[in-house]
Amino acid sequence: MPWFLHLALRQLFPPGKRFPAFATVSILGVGLGVAALLVVQTVMNGFGEEHRLRIRESFGDCVVVARTPIEHPQDLLKALRADAAVASATPYSEGPALARQGDFSGVAFVRGIDPTDQGHPARKYVFAGGFDELDDGRVILGFGLARALRVQVGDKIEVWSPAMAERAEKGKAPLPAVFEVCALVRTGFTEVDDRAAFIPLRRFNQLWSMGDRVHGLTLRLKEPAQAYEVAARLNVGRPTLQFVPWQEIKKNFLEAIRFEKTMLFFLMFIITLVASFSIGSTLFSAVIRRSREVGVLVALGARRLDLVALFGLQGLLIGALGTSLGFLLTWLILFFREQILGTINYLFGNGDMVANVYQFSKVPLHYDASDFFVAAFFTLLVTTIAGLVPAFWAAGRKPSEAMRDA
Amino acid sequence: MPDPIIVLSAQGLQKSFASPAGPLEVLRSVDLVVHAGESVSIRGSSGSGKTTLLQLLGGLDVADAGEANFLLPGRGLVPAHLNLGKGVGFVFQNYQLMPELNALENVRLAAQVAGRPATGADAYALLESVGLGGRVRHLPSQLSGGECQRVAIARALINRPSVLLADEPTGNLDEATGAEVMRLLLQVVAESGTALVLVTHSREFAARTDRQWVLSNGVLSPA
Ligand SMILES: Nc1ncnc2c1ncn2[C@@H]1O[C@H](COP(=O)(O)OP(=O)(O)OP(=O)(O)O)[C@@H](O)[C@H]1O
Ligand SMILES: [Mg+2]
Repeated sequence: MPWFLHLALRQLFPPGKRFPAFATVSILGVGLGVAALLVVQTVMNGFGEEHRLRIRESFGDCVVVARTPIEHPQDLLKALRADAAVASATPYSEGPALARQGDFSGVAFVRGIDPTDQGHPARKYVFAGGFDELDDGRVILGFGLARALRVQVGDKIEVWSPAMAERAEKGKAPLPAVFEVCALVRTGFTEVDDRAAFIPLRRFNQLWSMGDRVHGLTLRLKEPAQAYEVAARLNVGRPTLQFVPWQEIKKNFLEAIRFEKTMLFFLMFIITLVASFSIGSTLFSAVIRRSREVGVLVALGARRLDLVALFGLQGLLIGALGTSLGFLLTWLILFFREQILGTINYLFGNGDMVANVYQFSKVPLHYDASDFFVAAFFTLLVTTIAGLVPAFWAAGRKPSEAMRDA
Repeated sequence: MPDPIIVLSAQGLQKSFASPAGPLEVLRSVDLVVHAGESVSIRGSSGSGKTTLLQLLGGLDVADAGEANFLLPGRGLVPAHLNLGKGVGFVFQNYQLMPELNALENVRLAAQVAGRPATGADAYALLESVGLGGRVRHLPSQLSGGECQRVAIARALINRPSVLLADEPTGNLDEATGAEVMRLLLQVVAESGTALVLVTHSREFAARTDRQWVLSNGVLSPA
């Protein structure tokens, strides 16, 4: 071990002291800064990932739409299913309707789907009943919507579609369609749970007077990450259709999440900067206190660079240990996030904010190695600079004067 | 008898410091020569420039005029300020040990800093020769002043310098301890064949060196 590293370690962790004040406080400061940064980044990633997943599940990896409903979708579906990049292609129609049960009513966002679709994402979220029970007389409801209507599996609801208003205009008595609830889905995404209603596509088209036209097609791709390329390729030769990759479906929303994440990085990094400033100033006073030692080291033959390394390394070491502590704290905080959030909600009586405001049932996480690299890199950079400034100052002193310091 | 080897030589050393009342001329013209293995003492009133002179001789500072050289085995006489840590050892009034290193590590540090292979055995042997064989793991804060100074002497000798510069090495010690440290210092330099330049206020200690000088009015003259 080079002597300056040995001495740097000893100066940071003097023998006989279990928790040397300077090192302990500095490492804690950096650790907290790094943890704050990474907790926020990881949760932001989680939200982003969750939103991306929900978007893909709700809309598919690629949506095919046109200015008018798509006529005779069968040929198009066959052609698309034959494409190597496409895992599945299903037609859909959708629209809002009034749902009613006794004196309770709610807006249902009705989606006509293929009941035999084995890959339908709603299957994963069935909470009661069975997806396969779906037929022309049955409906699958979102958990929140069912609660608003006070219905359970087996109960009946009435659905009023806009096409029925048309019938009323023509003087015919509109009759509501009656469905038996065959399943409830609970995605944890309140926007879906509070409004979703799934019925067979054929039934939807009857109620909405669509004939055999559909509103669009949902494609699931073998490589969802390549949705842009696949969509562009499929669009070639089909000018009347529009292939929309999932990234474009709620583009502004996804962009906003990314922007938020970047802004939060800078805001949170300020904590680390502040911690580094205090390291810098504490190292500075340590260097001044050690003036005579610096003089002695020069007398013993230490070169300028050795002295820069001696004090610069102390900043780097604090940065490295603080970053490690920050990683550990991040993991701990995130591991116990539900308990921490529960305690906060309990203490401040906020109710379940995550579910109410953010539409998730749990705080989502997504660990991204690049966040950790970036945080470690910038933290090491600023703590090293914080150590190098006093280091260069010390190395630049004349030994004869340094040794005269009290 | 062949000419004795010169281990330290200074010619026309001049040094002045800026002060509020104009430049303060501390050294006007200092010439000195020290031969291998001999011991010399420098006395002078406080503020006469003894520390300043030792710093110039050891290369910790550069003279305004004149030059200070010391012997580097194999290279002859070399300018002091360009060869720090190589040919001379320092002993200071207040020991100047690294507080976080124990006695053995303090001695080894001098070798490591000078870029020599630092054997613990060498350092241990030196500490033993200054009577601290049983204290090698003690931190400076766990040693008495006299013991600290003995560690410092061992540290100054680890690189086998041709000359040792000691600035009031007993200045912080009581009379008995000071006398003991002085005895030891003279003994180890004699044993190792190292020349000694001793700055001291004590006539008694000065009298025990081979030659005595007095620094006054910026000039060095035989006592
Ligand atoms: N860096 C400096 N700047 C200005 N003046 C200085 C500086 N270093 C030393 N001096 C002055 O030079 C003079 C000689 O100082 P020096 O320390 O060499 O004296 P000394 O003989 O060692 O004294 P003492 O016996 O008290 O140790 C003093 O008057 C001191 O104030
Ligand atoms: Mg002095």
